[in-house]
Amino acid sequence: MGFTLQQIQHAASSRFVHHLAALIALGAATVLCELLSPFLLHINLLMIYLVTVVIAALNLHLQSALVTVVGGALIYNYLYIAPRYAFNFEEKEYLATFFGFLVTGVVISSLTKHTRDKGMMLELREAETANLYELSRKLAAACTSQDIADAVINTIEGCSKNRAALFLEIDGRLRQTATSSDLLITQEQRQLITKAFKEAATSESGYQYGNSLYCEPIRTPSRVIGILVINAEWSQESTPDHHRRLIASCADQAGMALERVRLVHETELANNEMARQKLERALLNSVSHDLRTPLATITGVISSVLDEGELLDSWTRNELLENARAEAERLNCFVGKLLDITRLQAHAVVLKIELCDVQDLIGCALTAMQRLLQGRQVQISQAEGLPLVPMDMVLMNQVLVNLLDNAHKYSPPDRPIQIAARCNEGQLVLQVIDQGPGVPEHELVKIFDKFYRIAIPEGIKGTGLGLSICHGIVEAHGGSIYAENLQSGGFCITIHLPLQQSNHAGDAA
Amino acid sequence: MIVRHSDTNQPRILVVDDEVAIQRFLRTVLGAKDFQLCTAASGQEALQAAALFKPDIVLLDLGLPDMDGVEVLKRLREWSDVPVIVLSVREREDDKVQALDAGADDYLTKPFGMSELLARVRAALRRTVQQTVEPLFVADDLVVDLSCRKVTLAGKEVQLTPTEYDLLRLLVTHAGKVITHNQILKQLWGVAYIDQPQVLRVNISNLRRKLETDPTRPHYIITEPGVGYLLRVAP
Repeated sequence: MGFTLQQIQHAASSRFVHHLAALIALGAATVLCELLSPFLLHINLLMIYLVTVVIAALNLHLQSALVTVVGGALIYNYLYIAPRYAFNFEEKEYLATFFGFLVTGVVISSLTKHTRDKGMMLELREAETANLYELSRKLAAACTSQDIADAVINTIEGCSKNRAALFLEIDGRLRQTATSSDLLITQEQRQLITKAFKEAATSESGYQYGNSLYCEPIRTPSRVIGILVINAEWSQESTPDHHRRLIASCADQAGMALERVRLVHETELANNEMARQKLERALLNSVSHDLRTPLATITGVISSVLDEGELLDSWTRNELLENARAEAERLNCFVGKLLDITRLQAHAVVLKIELCDVQDLIGCALTAMQRLLQGRQVQISQAEGLPLVPMDMVLMNQVLVNLLDNAHKYSPPDRPIQIAARCNEGQLVLQVIDQGPGVPEHELVKIFDKFYRIAIPEGIKGTGLGLSICHGIVEAHGGSIYAENLQSGGFCITIHLPLQQSNHAGDAA
Repeated sequence: MIVRHSDTNQPRILVVDDEVAIQRFLRTVLGAKDFQLCTAASGQEALQAAALFKPDIVLLDLGLPDMDGVEVLKRLREWSDVPVIVLSVREREDDKVQALDAGADDYLTKPFGMSELLARVRAALRRTVQQTVEPLFVADDLVVDLSCRKVTLAGKEVQLTPTEYDLLRLLVTHAGKVITHNQILKQLWGVAYIDQPQVLRVNISNLRRKLETDPTRPHYIITEPGVGYLLRVAP
């Protein structure tokens, strides 16, 4: 069922060649004997035939070797046992020699054949082990089912020269995950494979034949998750048995690797889910508070102006409307920050890294904060000759604006804010320092968490998002950000940005 | 398409926005400020209105039901130079750059204050009136005389390299309006330099060093992060 006509023809012609070689060897041996017979006892000539038998057994099929055994015995009897040119089966001594030779020849032939087969088998096993080792190495490195499927197909192609395809059950349907490049699976074959898959799921049975396909189920400890299909036109030199073992090992390894990938994926999902739920809770709390508070003010103001506008004097009305506008601005700002953190969280931010002028960066942040920082002293100390630094100017501007906003909010209005920029060990060091009370030591790390607000001071309106946005942006740049209370009093946030853009930076976003 | 006819000498504004609330708000406020108003709620309507109503200025929202605002802008620019101010909730710099590169004159992020909008509208109208560039640009202490390539700061002449001068001239001819990085790079260095904004940054930095009293708090050349630069005009 696995043999094609061509292979059978090939096998037959190779048998013929081997027989021919056996006959030629016998002829050569006879010529040698003829040449040596004047100088040697005839009994010694038997050794020459024995050597021929050994050589034939080493190189030819067992049947051809047996041809040399029988042929050698007959020729020896015919030529060198008196009378010459006639068979003599009567003299007991010669008969003993004849049968002795026959038995020795047969034993040698089969022993040699056995040893040779064992050697070949060992070689095959070794190649197989090497291939399987290589496969397990590849599977250990594989991160997706696709990688695993490709590795398995490559291995089978590499060590059996057969074409293969791997089907995996995804969302309840059997999908062709990887296929040898020149293998085409017909609709009919596909039905057969689906059937084999279904049968494998209910029974322990291994493989199925049919339509020149060989199917091996891929199992995990709990169930059958796919099927490995080999285009089973076995080649002559290795037996299906050997292939079966190889294919079974491949399927086993693939099953384990797929299970591992699935478990890793599930753990990841579970972790993400947990983080998502936690964030969602914080988000909902924050949203309900931070969105509703300004909306409450705005609604209150508008309704009072609409309902009793005529009764209010113009100063009160202005005061009310001004209040509503400030709250609307705050609301807009909050929504902006919520969008920013969501984008950062969803990895939807793609950094646009360009070489930027640090002076320009500071200038932009100060321009953006102009209105808020009016009347506040801002000292800038920038080291001479700062190089252009690779960064996403828009995002880093946002970081600086957030830091300035915090410095402004959390320090007394009559104390200066400092911005310092310098280079140190291949990094840009950017600091924003205020003269405020700082942050309790144990909260220094937490302030970068989402929706975290320090307990003090009273009455300051924040979103708890500013610093976590900064953290997200700086990390996406491959840099670091940290906070510290200064010995001399005051609070400092330091940013380190690499001067050389590493590959990491782009990915992290 | 809703047109409010009144005195024909009033500037004509085409408002393109599908949000009824915004339409209503703009109609009330701009109508009260002596503008002639026409509103369109879709891209197709906007293009028709632009041809029939012949507005002096277009206020364009980017999120339209039938096509993207940028697409409307591109089609409009095929035959019209009418100033377009984009009003959008999209606050990302990429969107701004896209709109400005497509030919928008200005970009205002929603929500915006009425005074801000009116200032932008007036500035855009003023630019249309004085089509030809004044050869003499004055903003506070900075005087740029385009006719004899002379730049003075508080009466003292400033020496600029040819590139710096070309850059300043480009900013002067578009004073009060943001020019995107791409537009500057294309005009001054050619299309091949579009991926190399550092050339521009270095020249801007040099120009500031020569023109600004405190380069970290620029007074004349303002950076719009991620978008481009603009030269501040005297208020």
